[in-house]
Amino acid sequence: MEKAATAVRVSVLFFGRLKEIVGAAEHSMEIAEGASLEDLFSRCAARHPELAPYRGSLVATRNREFTAWNTSLHAGDEVAFLPPVSGG
Amino acid sequence: MSHPADSDLLLLVYDTIDADALIRYVRAASDGAVVTFDGCVRNQSHDRATLYLDYEAYESMALAKIREIAAEIHAKFAIDRVAIAHRLGRLQVGETSVFIAVSAPHRAPAFDACRFAIDTLKRTVPIWKKEYFADGAVWAEGEIPPVPPAASPEHTSKSKSAS
Repeated sequence: MEKAATAVRVSVLFFGRLKEIVGAAEHSMEIAEGASLEDLFSRCAARHPELAPYRGSLVATRNREFTAWNTSLHAGDEVAFLPPVSGG
Repeated sequence: MSHPADSDLLLLVYDTIDADALIRYVRAASDGAVVTFDGCVRNQSHDRATLYLDYEAYESMALAKIREIAAEIHAKFAIDRVAIAHRLGRLQVGETSVFIAVSAPHRAPAFDACRFAIDTLKRTVPIWKKEYFADGAVWAEGEIPPVPPAASPEHTSKSKSAS
């Protein structure tokens, strides 16, 4: 019998319009070890449905590096979903 | 001849950018050229009069990405030193939001490196600006940074060593 996946805690950062939607700059969240960035975004969008329409324009980061959405998460990861950047 | 990247001056600041100090920093006796880029706050956007801008950043990642840009232009172009400062917080019309100075023995690589640096910064550094007008505010349309392709399933299940 397989054991249920262990839950791990990750921090999720929000910037720009996502921070305005969520109403916070950071959430600490628990998710099953090995879950993907996509899974984590879905969890965030379940809590804040106004996030969902932005999914197509966001890029995901894990530990301050741009990362594919199917990358899996580990305890202590720092995750962010970034809107298109407009510095300069 | 190229300085190691740790002699570059790479900053996120909340006060006025001291452009002269950045120029002095990169300029050495062996340099024949200093090329600068001064990015400043325009007085209008899409035909609406701008009141001011608010910039915010994912600061730790933004600084890391600016360091990557500096390292990349050292690798690509025959330059001497690089200084890049990006300002955050509230900026008024006419103020400098980003300043880049690149020194080199000869002008061509200094121009090329400076252009490459600002183009890459605008595409890859996690900074956002909100534009305020008399009748409202909008997040500026941005660019979507390039992202590595999706990892293979084996890679994703054992990515602990990835940094």
